[in-house]
Order: sequence, then C-alpha cells, then structure tokens
Amino acid sequence: MSSFLKIAIRNLLKGPSTDPYPFGETFVPKGLRGKIKYNAKACVACRMCEHVCAGGAIQIREVADKSGLEFILWHNTCAFCGLCEHYCPTKAIRLTEDYHTAHRQEDKYRYVEKGFIKYVNCARCATPMVPIAFELLNVAHDQVNEDIEKLRHLCPKCRQERALR
Amino acid sequence: MKKLLQKIAKKSPWLYRINAGSCNGCDVELATTACIPRYDIERLGCKYCGSPKHADIVLITGPLTARVKEKVLRLYDEIPDPKVTVAIGVCPISGGVFRDSYAITGPIDNFIPVDVNVPGCPPRPQAIIDGIVEAIKIWETRL
Ligand code: SF4
Ligand code: SF4
Ligand code: SF4
Repeated sequence: MSSFLKIAIRNLLKGPSTDPYPFGETFVPKGLRGKIKYNAKACVACRMCEHVCAGGAIQIREVADKSGLEFILWHNTCAFCGLCEHYCPTKAIRLTEDYHTAHRQEDKYRYVEKGFIKYVNCARCATPMVPIAFELLNVAHDQVNEDIEKLRHLCPKCRQERALR
Repeated sequence: MKKLLQKIAKKSPWLYRINAGSCNGCDVELATTACIPRYDIERLGCKYCGSPKHADIVLITGPLTARVKEKVLRLYDEIPDPKVTVAIGVCPISGGVFRDSYAITGPIDNFIPVDVNVPGCPPRPQAIIDGIVEAIKIWETRL
C-alpha cells in the first residue's frame, strides 16, 4: 500500500507525461533523420546519391539549354534511410532534423528539394564542365596547394594533359 | 437539431485506420500516436473507432498491395461521406521502397481521393499529429 502511495504521489508531482505538441514545443532526438537538404555548391554531380537511393527519390538531369544540371528530390518517396548522405563524398546532401512533412494533396508533386549546378568553362579549352567543389579537394588531398587549385579549373581532359606533362 | 449536431461534430471527428498492406512500421507509429498517453490524440477531440461506419477521418498506411486492394476499396466505400483521407507514410503516397514491385497496385490516390499526405518511413508521431490537425481543418469545411 505504502509503495503504491509513493508512486502515486511521485506521479502527481511529476506532472503530465503527455507531449505538449501540437500546442507546445516538442523534443527532437539528436540525429533524427528528417527531410533532406541539398547544397548545390558542394555537389560534384557524381550521382552516387541517385544510384544508392532506396526510395528512388533523386534525379539529376541536364537542363534543356545544356547550361547545367538540375537536382530534384521528391520527399514523398524518400525513406529517410540516410544512404545518400552516407555515400556522398562531399556531404552536399544531408538529412536535417526537420520532421514536419504533412502537406495537402495539391502540393504532392511540388513537395521537392531542388538545386541547380551551373556548368563552368574549362580555364584552358573552355569546354563546359561541372565545377569542382572545394569540399572535394579537401576529401582528396591533405593540403590544397596552388597547383591543385589550378587543376581545379580545368576539364578532365586538360587536367590529364597537365598532370602528365 | 441538425445545426447543433454539425457544430458538435466539427470538434470531434472520429478516426479510422486502414492498413493497405503496410510493413507495420507506420501502424506502430499510428498506434503510438493513438494509444499511449504521451501523444494522446484525444486532446484534439479525436477518437479511434473500430467500425468504418462511424469514421470521419480515415488514415491509410501501406502501398495498396494487389492482395488487399479490393478489400480496402470496399471498406473505404463503407465509410459515410463526408470524410477526410490522410495517407500516412511514403507507401500509400508513392509506393516508397516497394514502388516497382509486381505486388503493388498503388499509389493509393489512383483509386481513393486523398486529402493530406504525411510522408516518412515511418513519419514520427508528431508528424502524424500535424497531418491530423490538417485533416481536422479540412473536416470542418466539409460538414
Ligand atoms: S534518405 Fe534514402 S530514400 Fe531519402 S533521398 Fe537519401 S538515399 Fe534516397
Ligand atoms: S549530392 Fe553528393 S552524392 Fe549526390 S551527386 Fe552531388 S556529390 Fe554526388
Ligand atoms: S512508409 Fe515505410 S514504415 Fe510505413 S508502411 Fe511503408 S515501408 Fe513501412
């Protein structure tokens, strides 16, 4: 009896255990896998995310006027598995802790994350190419020196020629 | 009398759950949202009911497998109008990870008029509450 009373009094003092959401703030556990955020500046268009995506949510396509690549992610088929972030070499694609996914039916096909990678021209031959993100240099090299920085602005072909010279 | 009933009904939609072949992940989250005091959906005036005839807001999980399709559609037709339909999880919305399977006949909005989508695999209880709040707003306009 006394142990029961103890529990009852303790529970009374503790207050309600109901999460106040949606009338108040709720908790977000650290590392919650929520909606994807994409950063076109860091993306090198390797398409690894598109390849590993469990939900088939990602598409990377060249735009009609061939000025760059368009990245589209449809949240409505993303399984929050995190494979894209895991395999992305530059972490241009990340899962946020934003779990607010409810939306009306009319927005179903507008519920996307978009990005655009504009081609730059090779510093030597002016061929359009995907800009090489600084983040990639940091993954590939311990230290980024001036030579590497120069190679960064060349297309793969010129880069090869320069490197073999 | 009818006016009064309408006014009351606005504040207390009854929820009904249809499992259209889900992996059970979303159903566990739904059960969590409904049945444990932590997320207590009854604060919004909602209540789960066991019969489609009593339902106002329908929550559907699962990608509409070929095996349950007819049963789900029959069940859905038994729910009296007006009703609000909420798709829970990426499965009913797009097929999710099962999208290319031969056993899937969804997405569900090819057969059933969906009003609110709550993607996630599964969505967490707070996201489901968001969806139900949205559904209640639509419910109030339908009465
Ligand atoms: S979290 Fe998984 S399903 Fe979502 S975009 Fe990334 S790889 Fe695709
Ligand atoms: S987001 Fe990452 S994995 Fe996807 S194409 Fe860009 S760099 Fe590659
Ligand atoms: S959305 Fe994910 S958790 Fe929900 S039923 Fe489909 S596979 Fe299962």
